[in-house]
Amino acid sequence: MKKIVFAASVLSMSLCLWSCGGAHGDDPGHAYMPDMYYSRAYEAYGYNMVNGEYDSLRKRGISYTSLTVAGTVARGEELPTHLTGDSAGLKIANGLKNPLDSLSKVPEQMKEAERLYLVNCGICHGTALDGNGPLYKGGDGPYPAAPRPLNGEYAKALSDGSIFYTITYGKNAMGSYASQLRPEQRWMVVSYIRSKQGGASTSDSTGKATQNAPAAATATTGGKTQP
Amino acid sequence: MNFLPSNVRKGALLGLLFFLSYISLQAQDGKAIFSANCASCHALDKQLTGPALRGVETRGPWTDRANVVKWVHNPGGFIPTTPYTQQLAASMNGQIMPSFPQLSEKEIFSILDYIKSAPAPGAGPATPAAAGAPQETGNGELIFGVISIVLAIIALILMQVNSNLKKLSDDKEQILRPEPVPFWRNKIYIALFAVILFVVGGFYVAKSAIGLGRQQGYQPTQPIFFSHKVHAGVNQINCLYCHSAALESKHAMIPPLNVCMNCHKAINAYEKGPKIYDENGKEINGTAEIKKLYDYAGFTPGPGAQWDPSKARSPQWVKIHNLPDHVYFNHAQHTRVGNVACQTCHGNIQEMDKVAQASSLSMGWCINCHRQQKIAFNYNDSTGNKFYSIYEKFHNDFKSGKMDSLTVKDIGGLECQKCHY
Repeated sequence: MKKIVFAASVLSMSLCLWSCGGAHGDDPGHAYMPDMYYSRAYEAYGYNMVNGEYDSLRKRGISYTSLTVAGTVARGEELPTHLTGDSAGLKIANGLKNPLDSLSKVPEQMKEAERLYLVNCGICHGTALDGNGPLYKGGDGPYPAAPRPLNGEYAKALSDGSIFYTITYGKNAMGSYASQLRPEQRWMVVSYIRSKQGGASTSDSTGKATQNAPAAATATTGGKTQP
Repeated sequence: MNFLPSNVRKGALLGLLFFLSYISLQAQDGKAIFSANCASCHALDKQLTGPALRGVETRGPWTDRANVVKWVHNPGGFIPTTPYTQQLAASMNGQIMPSFPQLSEKEIFSILDYIKSAPAPGAGPATPAAAGAPQETGNGELIFGVISIVLAIIALILMQVNSNLKKLSDDKEQILRPEPVPFWRNKIYIALFAVILFVVGGFYVAKSAIGLGRQQGYQPTQPIFFSHKVHAGVNQINCLYCHSAALESKHAMIPPLNVCMNCHKAINAYEKGPKIYDENGKEINGTAEIKKLYDYAGFTPGPGAQWDPSKARSPQWVKIHNLPDHVYFNHAQHTRVGNVACQTCHGNIQEMDKVAQASSLSMGWCINCHRQQKIAFNYNDSTGNKFYSIYEKFHNDFKSGKMDSLTVKDIGGLECQKCHY
C-alpha cells in the first residue's frame, strides 16, 4: 500500500511540474513564487490591472505618447520655442536660429547627429540625402510619396528654423517626429543636413576646427542654459 | 514594298525608330519631371496629399490640356473658375497645391503623356513569388512518435504470436516445457519499462521544472499582427526608429501610435513585400492588419484625410520579454555603454514575422554573457568610456602586460547586488 501511495505521489508531482513549466505560443507559463515575480507596483509597460480593468491607466486618461507633458520642459532640455503647428508657427520658426550652429565643429556630436539622421530620416530621405531611402527606392518601396531630396535646391533654400518646424510638426505626407527626437536632437539633425548640403566647404572647416572643439562645446552649452 | 528602293525603306524604318524613341523619350522626361515635382504629393493610383492622377485627363476640366497648364501655374486662381475645382478644394480641407510657374507648357504635357502611358500596377513584371510557406515543423515529431509506438505494439504482438505458435508445435511433438512467464510478470520487461520511464519521464520533468518561470519560446498573439520581418528586415527600418528609448532608458519602449502613423498615413495597403505567415504557416493579410491599426488610431483614409491623435486608443500589446520583478535590467546600460546589439538577446528579430522569445533570459544565461563579454576599456580616446578610468589597477596590469582583455565579470558583473537589490 505504502508503495502505491509513494508511486502515485511521485507520478502526480511529476505530472504537475510537467504541465506547469515552460512557455509556448500564447501561454506565458507559470512562476515558482508569483509574489516575487510580478510587480505589485505600477511598472512601465506592465498591465496595470486595477479592479479587474486591464488598461486602467488609459481609462483615467493617462496615455503614453513619449512627449513631455504640455507646459513642462524636460531636464537638460532647451527652453521651449513656443511654436504652434500652423502658419503663424512657421513664421516664428523661420526666424529661429539654430542654437547648435557650431555643432559641425565637434566631431563626436556630429557623429551622434549622423546617427540620429540615419535612424530617423535616412529611411525615407536616403542616407545620401537624395530623397531615395529604402522605403521609397525610386518608387519600388512601400512608401507611395517621393521624399524630398534634402541635397536639392529646394531644401538648401529652407531656413534652419523651417526644417526644425517640419521635423516638429510634419509636412504634407511626413508626420511629426516630436516624440522620437528631443528639440536638441532636432537641431542636431538640422545641423547634420546643413553640413551635408554645404559640400566641400564644410569638410574643410571641420578639419580646421577640431583644435578649438572644446571651446565650441562650451559655447553651445553656455547658449543652452542662458534663459 | 518591294518596288521602293532599299535606302528609302531604311530611311522610313529609321524615321519610325526616331519617332518611337522620341515618344518614349517624352514619356521618360515626363517621368523625371513627375518624380522631381509632383511625386511628393501625388501618386498614380493612390490618394496621398493630393489626388491619384491616373486618368486625370478624363475628369472635370482636365479634358482640356490648356486648363491643366493654367492650374499648374496658378491653382489658387483657377479654383473659383469651375465647380469641379471648387468641390475639390472643399474636399481637401482647404489644402491647396502650390503653384509651379517654372514648368513650361511642354513639360506639363510630357507629364500628362507619362501619366497616360504609365503601366497600371500589376501589368508590369510580376514581383517574384515569395518563398513557399515555412516548413511544417512540430508535426514531424508527433508522427514519428506514433509510428514508433505502433511498431513497438506490432513487435510485442508478433512475439506473443511466436511464443503461442511455439507452444502449439511443442504440444504436438509432446515436448514438455515449463509454462512461459507472461510478459507483464517478466522481470526483464518490467525492469526495461521502468528504466525507460525513468529516463524519458525524468528528462521531461527536469526540463519543465527548470523551465518554470522562464519563457523561452513565448510567442503571444498581438492585437495587430505586426511583422518585424517586413519592417526591420525587408524595409530596413532601424530598430531605434520605433524603439527609440533603447539607448537612453531602462525600457526599449513600445512605440506610440503616432510613430506607426508617420508612415502608415500614406502606406495603407500591404502590396510589395513577401507574404506574411503566422507560426502555423497560415497566411496573414497585411492590408487587413493595417486596417486594424487605423481602427486603433481612429483614422479614416481618404481624400485629404487628417489624423487626429486624440481619437486614438492604445492597442494592448502583449509584453513578450519579461524578467521577474526581483531582477533589475536596464537597456541603456547594455546598448549605449556595452554596445550590445539587439539581436544578441532578442535573436534574429528581423527574420521573425511573429516574435518569439529567443533566449531563455535565465540567470545562467545572463552570467554566462557577463563572463565572456569583453569590454572596451580604452578611456583615453574619444570613443572610450571615461568611467573606466577609475580602475587604476587594471590599467597598470594592462600596461605591464599581465592582462590582455577584461570581461564584465572583472568589473563586478557577477556581484549579486548588480541585478538583485
